[in-house]
Amino acid sequence: MDARLARRLEARFGDRLIRPVAGRHDETEVRIAAADVPEVMRTLHDDPEFSFNVLADLCGVDTGDAMQVVYHLWAEPAVTRDWLRVIVDGLARDDPRCPSVTFLWKGAEWQERETYDMFGIVFEGNRDLRRIYMPPDYTSFPLRKDFHLADDAARGSGEGVRHMEQMRSPAAATASNTRRRAKVD
Amino acid sequence: MTRTISKDDPTLFVDSPAALIDAVPPFPPRSEREAEFYALRDGEMLINLGPQHPSTHGVLRVVLKIEGEKIVDLDPVLGYLHRGVEKLCENSDYHQAICYTDPLEYISSLFMELAPVMAFEKLLDLEVPRRAEYIRVLTCELNRVSSHALYMGWQALDLGGLTPILYAFIERDEIVEMLAAQTGQRMLFNYFRIGGVNGDLNHDFMSRLGDWMSRALKQIEANERLLNENEIFLNRTRGLGVLDREASLRLGMTGPNLRASGVPYDIRRAHPYGVYPELAFDVPTRQEGDSYARYLLRLDEIKQSIAIIDQCLHKMPDGPVMAKIPRLIRPRPGRAFAAVESPRGQYAIYAISDGTDQPFRMHLHDPSFVNLQAMGAVLPGNLIADTMAIFASLDPIMGGIDK
Repeated sequence: MDARLARRLEARFGDRLIRPVAGRHDETEVRIAAADVPEVMRTLHDDPEFSFNVLADLCGVDTGDAMQVVYHLWAEPAVTRDWLRVIVDGLARDDPRCPSVTFLWKGAEWQERETYDMFGIVFEGNRDLRRIYMPPDYTSFPLRKDFHLADDAARGSGEGVRHMEQMRSPAAATASNTRRRAKVD
Repeated sequence: MTRTISKDDPTLFVDSPAALIDAVPPFPPRSEREAEFYALRDGEMLINLGPQHPSTHGVLRVVLKIEGEKIVDLDPVLGYLHRGVEKLCENSDYHQAICYTDPLEYISSLFMELAPVMAFEKLLDLEVPRRAEYIRVLTCELNRVSSHALYMGWQALDLGGLTPILYAFIERDEIVEMLAAQTGQRMLFNYFRIGGVNGDLNHDFMSRLGDWMSRALKQIEANERLLNENEIFLNRTRGLGVLDREASLRLGMTGPNLRASGVPYDIRRAHPYGVYPELAFDVPTRQEGDSYARYLLRLDEIKQSIAIIDQCLHKMPDGPVMAKIPRLIRPRPGRAFAAVESPRGQYAIYAISDGTDQPFRMHLHDPSFVNLQAMGAVLPGNLIADTMAIFASLDPIMGGIDK
């Protein structure tokens, strides 16, 4: 964690940060709420104090309790030598919504489409929010933690496909899935 | 014997062309942009390029909206190769996950192993022996040379030149055979392990490498002479598919495609990993941002890679190549992000551990996936015939794009 960057982030965003700035190795991590995304991201991108002009990654995470959208940003080494990780925390699992960052990075469009495809997170402001990998008539969101291929196959054309956890140890499948949920924050 | 030709003869006429995919989707538009794209004005028409087109470098379908010979707009359709690798990784343990990521970009699979291995080492707070770090850099740079050499061939092949790919394959085959001698595999090496590499450099590899190093540069220069001044090649690449600095940054492009537009963003320098801080090399950039600049830039990178390999051979210390780690690893809960500079750009892994032996979430950031979006920015206004020429200059691999 870059202590200098952490101090500047705290001074700049203050109570917008849901938790104190954290981090390990060469990563600095901040958590914000969905409503603050456009403004925080614009400041991080435009402000010469930060100038994080490369969007290194955008992805979704399902922790079991809530949905998250995670951005990784890069700035010139003069600003920081760390990756900045911005976690949009606490999206409701039944209707996850997050503002789009396509107004800053056009290239986020497909990454948001992918996140929508896999998690069902709706990015408000993305003009092209449709599935990107899965077929258009598909209804599930495969990377959610409550997704089971067996249930899904019963609904669609992939009937008869068994989930790999069941193949490994059919009896333990349900138990291991429950154990693996709701552990990460 | 006389034979009457009738319309019902199944060998002559096919009633239902079942293999054709209609360019217009058979469902209502799902987004603003889709509605806009599939609404045609007078004189415009839609055609499918792919999915089984030989120069799409995999299975990509692009719906082109054309007016005469000019492209007005396009809509890439992905997912034909989607295997759900992220889901597979969540259901396998940390060592197994490396085998799943490695066939994603089959041309440069060592990089596809390096990023997850680095991410898991971060989760474990693991120190990698210095000799292993040097071996990683050495083999990765070899892989980069083979990938870029093959790109030279492809770029020419997609313009209709059949010869360069034959020479490109000579280069690639020598490197691939060399790596096969070391790792036991020709394409999907599966050589890197969490905590080091699988086995020290052997004699066969070293003798092949020494042999190749003595003429590598000469071979590259011979390939250059074949293409660089070729008039047809110049006419079909120079000034085509231009991306300026600001546009390519906004598009999130990385790798040679971004550096050809004048941004010196190379993870090996921008966010150093491994032993790159100890090695001397340049990050070549070009200002033009067209297909030709992207081609020349990759040639420059090959030369830099050869210089890095040379330094690695001189600086490589003795010692172990694997850290001591248990067979079954359970990192403490946490998150890690690791990025490497692959031949196509920034390849990154974001891994989350929940304390069990399987990753809770593993996200793969593939450079070709992001770079492919540039098609929408550079193709409109060009001729259909130039589509594949510009597409090839972006050097995407569909295996990585579709995950």
